[in-house]
Amino acid sequence: MRLKEIQRTAHQAWSPAGHHPIYLALGTSAQQLDASFNTTAALEIFEMDFSDPSLDMELKGSLPTSNRLHSIVWVNFGMGADGTGGRLVGGSENGTLTVYNPEDIMTSGADAIVGQSDKHTGPVRALDFNPFQNNLLASGANDSEIYIWDLNNFSSPMTPGAKTQPAEDISVVSWNRQVQHILASANPSGKAVVWDLRKNEPIIKISDHSNRMHCSGMLWHPDVATQLVLASEDDRLPVIQMWDLRFATSPLKVLENHTRGILSISWSQADPELLLSSAKDNRILCWNPNTGEVIYELPTTNQWCFDVQWCPRNPALLSAASFDGRITVYSVMGGSLTAQQQSTVDKISSSFDAMDPFGTGQTLPPLQVPQPTAQTTIIPPLKKPPKWVRRPVGASFAFGGKLVTFENPKPPPVQSPQPVPRHVFMSQVTTETEFLQRSRELQAALQSGSFNNYCQTKIQTAKSDAEQDIWKFLLVNFEDEARIKFLRLLGFSKDELETKISKCLGKNFQPNGHGVDAKDLAEKMLQLSTERSDDATGAAGTSGSVSPSDFFSQTPKDNANFQIPVTCDTDGLISQALLVGNFEGAVDLCLNDGRYAEAILLAISGGEELLKKTQQKYLSKQKNNISMLISSVVTQNWKDIVESCELDNWKEALAALLTYAHPEDFARLCDTLGGRLECERTEKRCLQACLCYICSGNIEKLVECWAVHRDCSSPLGLEDLVEKVMMLRKSIERLRNSEVAVQSPILAEKLTRYAGILAAEGSLSTAMSYLPENSEQPGITMLKDRLFHAQGESAVGQQPPNSYNRPNVSTAKPTPAAQTPAPKAQIMPPAPSQVAPQQQPQVPSLFTPQVVPANTGPGLPPSSHVLPPSAPRPTMRPSYPQHPAPAPGFLPHQPFQPQPMPGPSAFPPPGPPMSAANLPGPLLQSSTSPPGGMPPMPSPGVPPTSFMPSTSLPSGPMPPSSQPGAPVPMYPGGLHSQGPVPPMAAGPYNPMGSGYPQGGPGAPAVKPFPTTAVPPPPSTGPQEGWNDPPAVRGGPRKKKVPDNYTPPAPITAPVMGFPAEAPQHHDHAQVPPGAPQEPSVQLLQQLPAERVEQKEIPAEHMVLKSTFDSLVQRCQLAAGDPQTKRKLDDAAKRLGYLYDKLRDQSLSPNILNGLHEISRCVASQNYQRGLEVHTQVVSSSNFSEISAFMPILKVVMTIANRLGV
Amino acid sequence: NYLFACLAQYFTVTEFQHDAQMDYYGTRLATCSSDRTVKIFDVRNGGQILVADLRGHEGPVWQVAWAHPMFGNILASCSYDRKVIVWKEENGAWDKMYEYTGHESSVNSVCWGPYDFGLILACGSSDGAISLLTFTGDQQWDVKKISNAHTIGCNAVSWAPAVVPGSLIDQPTGQKPNYVKRFVSGGCDNLVKLWKEEEGQWKEDQKLEAHSDWVRDVGWAPSIGLPTSTIASCSQDGRVFIWTCDDPAGNTWSAKLLHKFNDVVWHVSWSITGNILAVSGGDNKVTLWKESMDGQWACISDVSKGQGAVSTITDTQQNEQ
Repeated sequence: MRLKEIQRTAHQAWSPAGHHPIYLALGTSAQQLDASFNTTAALEIFEMDFSDPSLDMELKGSLPTSNRLHSIVWVNFGMGADGTGGRLVGGSENGTLTVYNPEDIMTSGADAIVGQSDKHTGPVRALDFNPFQNNLLASGANDSEIYIWDLNNFSSPMTPGAKTQPAEDISVVSWNRQVQHILASANPSGKAVVWDLRKNEPIIKISDHSNRMHCSGMLWHPDVATQLVLASEDDRLPVIQMWDLRFATSPLKVLENHTRGILSISWSQADPELLLSSAKDNRILCWNPNTGEVIYELPTTNQWCFDVQWCPRNPALLSAASFDGRITVYSVMGGSLTAQQQSTVDKISSSFDAMDPFGTGQTLPPLQVPQPTAQTTIIPPLKKPPKWVRRPVGASFAFGGKLVTFENPKPPPVQSPQPVPRHVFMSQVTTETEFLQRSRELQAALQSGSFNNYCQTKIQTAKSDAEQDIWKFLLVNFEDEARIKFLRLLGFSKDELETKISKCLGKNFQPNGHGVDAKDLAEKMLQLSTERSDDATGAAGTSGSVSPSDFFSQTPKDNANFQIPVTCDTDGLISQALLVGNFEGAVDLCLNDGRYAEAILLAISGGEELLKKTQQKYLSKQKNNISMLISSVVTQNWKDIVESCELDNWKEALAALLTYAHPEDFARLCDTLGGRLECERTEKRCLQACLCYICSGNIEKLVECWAVHRDCSSPLGLEDLVEKVMMLRKSIERLRNSEVAVQSPILAEKLTRYAGILAAEGSLSTAMSYLPENSEQPGITMLKDRLFHAQGESAVGQQPPNSYNRPNVSTAKPTPAAQTPAPKAQIMPPAPSQVAPQQQPQVPSLFTPQVVPANTGPGLPPSSHVLPPSAPRPTMRPSYPQHPAPAPGFLPHQPFQPQPMPGPSAFPPPGPPMSAANLPGPLLQSSTSPPGGMPPMPSPGVPPTSFMPSTSLPSGPMPPSSQPGAPVPMYPGGLHSQGPVPPMAAGPYNPMGSGYPQGGPGAPAVKPFPTTAVPPPPSTGPQEGWNDPPAVRGGPRKKKVPDNYTPPAPITAPVMGFPAEAPQHHDHAQVPPGAPQEPSVQLLQQLPAERVEQKEIPAEHMVLKSTFDSLVQRCQLAAGDPQTKRKLDDAAKRLGYLYDKLRDQSLSPNILNGLHEISRCVASQNYQRGLEVHTQVVSSSNFSEISAFMPILKVVMTIANRLGV
Repeated sequence: NYLFACLAQYFTVTEFQHDAQMDYYGTRLATCSSDRTVKIFDVRNGGQILVADLRGHEGPVWQVAWAHPMFGNILASCSYDRKVIVWKEENGAWDKMYEYTGHESSVNSVCWGPYDFGLILACGSSDGAISLLTFTGDQQWDVKKISNAHTIGCNAVSWAPAVVPGSLIDQPTGQKPNYVKRFVSGGCDNLVKLWKEEEGQWKEDQKLEAHSDWVRDVGWAPSIGLPTSTIASCSQDGRVFIWTCDDPAGNTWSAKLLHKFNDVVWHVSWSITGNILAVSGGDNKVTLWKESMDGQWACISDVSKGQGAVSTITDTQQNEQ
């Protein structure tokens, strides 16, 4: 294909290979005339701008010369570092050899001649520069003259040896391309001489015996040192001979195709298999000299070409100089430039039309005016693909960090019979070694469930305090008594505080190891309200453990004689009001007089309404820093605290939340606090906010907040985040006893990125495990699909492929889902998993799903929990609701199927309020907290772990029995026989929509499952310490209880404005008989609403109900004073808690035995004995378990004893 | 600290190997060579099963390209014989789906567009033209040709990811974003050119000049969710440039020299996540490059013959075999 063209009759020289841009130097040709018969001579330099599609060359510089040229070369010598410059050397018709600086030609034109010599006596037709030493130039002229010029010292050329005889014109000189001291010369007679410059003599002469070889060209083989070609100008032998000096008797090969003498040849330096020749038959051919085959014929002119040259830089280009006065640049790669050619044809035609056909004496061929025809001929490229288009090496990335590489070793110069082996390699590229290492550690932790260890390690290796704090908080989530530990982390130590308080009170305080003594607390409370001690903050914090009922049972009862004032002062009025039972008046008087303690005491006796009023009045009068806190504690209004506290007090606010906040509100409050901190946008605050979110278990907010100040774009930054998120998620799952689905877009985005990096590093199955399960985001589904397929057969057990719509594929490939699981399959810990019942197939919306999974197994509730998406375990697979092949893996699940069935009836309090609050973990823990530790009770710390199988064993095999470390006995076999007992593991399967918090992004951590709150069946173990939920809500708490809370599930708040934590009494016999029980009033009101459904009390326990009910009735009949009556009314209600517990079968055998014993005593009216038993039971039981009813039982018995019923 | 583990070594072939490409999932490998064949291997789990030996080209096959699997198992190949062939697997058998003969010279590069655009193939040829073949269904292909895209020839084409520049990855679901089809090409005119489709017509969008010799390969980096567009180009002149454009209009491109090699650089390939660039040089060396946090490109390893883990492991494997 023709690229550039200009009308010149000239010899040509391309700029050297290193030269950029490509220039073409044209020196006016001697012995020829162009169409204009111009006799001037010039040296011109043109630039080849191939981004310009026109045929024009751009003239860069021109220098008039005195002589026309026979030859011209452009040498590297003197080339600048930028690859420009060099030297142009021209051999003229009069023997002058001139060295030009092309830079100067292009700039000024002045001083362009840097050297000149007229050593030669005749026209210099032959020039060549040494490829190794670019200062060496060889020239040849008439009379066998050959000179070797040193461009550094141009004046004194050397000769390669003695002149050959007889003297002949030298038509060609050529340096060997491999050996720098070898030069060859040839003359028109057909002889070639090879010179060794070291020996300074010819070493071999080449000549065939035809005597018809008229050498117009000679070239050394670019690669093979001993081979050269000779081209013959003789029309009778228009051939190219290929010689090997080792067999110099006859040509190795003769290339025959031209029909007339060859004028010029050029051997491509880029591909030795390309040899150009132009001949008097008007053709330009390209040969493969190795095969002798013509692989290309340039569709050229009708003119002879006397000079052809490959472009050294652009191997596809060649220039041809023709006798019709044109220099044309062609590409051998085919193609066409129709339009431009047309115009050129026209131009040439007009030029020739104007020509005077005057003979010039030169061997001009008959001129034929080209016809202006549209040249639409498509020019085929070289038959043989040139070497320079053959990519010898390549590397391509593939999915999963794979790199496919291939290489083609350079073939030996001489074709060897041995094929060269060529390989394709596939490598795994991993660039993020630290990332992978950490990812592996995380995986190991997630799979083994050793979260504590993992967090511990993280704490130890944390690089900053902030980081350490975060890990400490995360760790606490996995520990028992999370709340206390959170408090401790926040700097609130109970023990220390107790000491401080006792110091402040000036007493020798002895911590009993379980909290403050009730008496102390009671006093403290009094001080709180009266003295407004500065210490009250702390007091409030700790005094939360006081049970109101216990507290009131401590009121002084052994006053000696005293006077009742009846004067008209305040005292008198108060006592008078009291004497007539006007509590309200008395309270008002007290308040008016600033006697808040008395006011509150009286209000307690005056009933709930009065108490409330009194509290309000009191609080409204108190305006100091501490009052806000007290107010919040009393009114349970934590919103104010978190919304308006100083941010510097965030720790205190969080501590208060940890201590008091209602489970339902806790997370929200924590988030509010976190949100305020986050709003500051400072790094410090954001980290603090993160701590809040960790407490609340709000993964989404944690991610968002974290991303504000931490770089999550780098793999390690992302790893930092994912580690925390996964740990938080695990802790929540552990608490909630189910998988946590995180659908938050931001987390999904981060996890997807994380998975993407893992995939890129080759950890395909791990990557799969992090992808959000039920996302329909195209990016996620695509990555999932890709991961799935990429794993090939090892992917079995993972999520079914989101196959694209390709009909054939499914048959061609084994359905992965149907394959047997690979044993080595990895456990996928973290996959977010909750599948909404309405979930759609995991198919990117863009694609048509190949297979719509038929369904899941029968028994699985539609909203069933979901296991990690990619878990390869067979047992996991059935848990995909849309799994196409549920059958094989399904069995393991069956034990679980019945579990959802217990249904609402199984849980007395399935209502939403409960649901959010109670987590299995804390619940259990509370049951274990009693200090004494009843023998049958699980030791502290055990319970949470015993829940592990169902909660945090995301990766474990499903059958509970196979769960390592899981207290299997807790629920396997007996499970279904438990009847009403809510199976613990039912949580995740719970079909009830109502109590089931939507696991949506917003509420992941905060809302536990309702069902999980149910304690283990009594028969399986120790009695539960947890009252049935309604009782819990309102019931007085033992001090330990809060400790057991984990952040997402704070304990329910205390009822009456007393700190939630009541002092724990191991000996409930202490409770003073007759102590007012009013604190529980509020709780009673809550009751009915929550008692959704009642089951029957087991027959064996009916006797308890009948006995106690009749006791209360008898007392009511006998009781005279209103206060006693009120107590008994209360008792009738509060015993309801007991009955609820009986219905639930949630009481431990120990307590049940005690109750029956008491019942027998009551039946025999042996109340004294009954009270003794009562004391025993109380002292040996978990207070929280019995606190709802045991005190009232004591009260009733005491009354009965007094009344003698 | 970077690891390379050679997973497998394939095919001791005698003919010149010109390309080897894994499919979308990395489970099949297509190779092409001077023997005019295209071979497909199933390489799952380290296997090496010849699935197909596709014959149809009459010259060396330069490149192969896998279409996105949503269209089925489709492979395009281009050859010195001026043909582009699209192969498709039907019922386990591979066959010609389409043969394009519209180029007048060697077709050097084929590249499928992002799946968002359907089946669209860009082909760069030594005749200087770039063809865009779009499957219009029912065995029909629509052909658009950019004539004279690169004088002397186009060596490489590479599509831009289907993201609107300046937008983040999250496109509103449901509505198809109005992507602009764009691709980059490199040619023997030493230029890197960007093309985009406007109203159904392909137009030159940008002309990037930095190379002093043939541009051997261009690679548009996969989108990683950032608004920056990145292109790598490599050249006969030994230089590899990284071109970036932050401007949503796509008008301002800046070049950064990744490295100047001593030999021709034949090929650049981005990792799927777009953070690593594999550069293949004429010295049969493959180097991996990664951009550091401060924006500098650093060579993270040689995957070269006689060096590094690749060949070591290969040797071991050979010994074992």
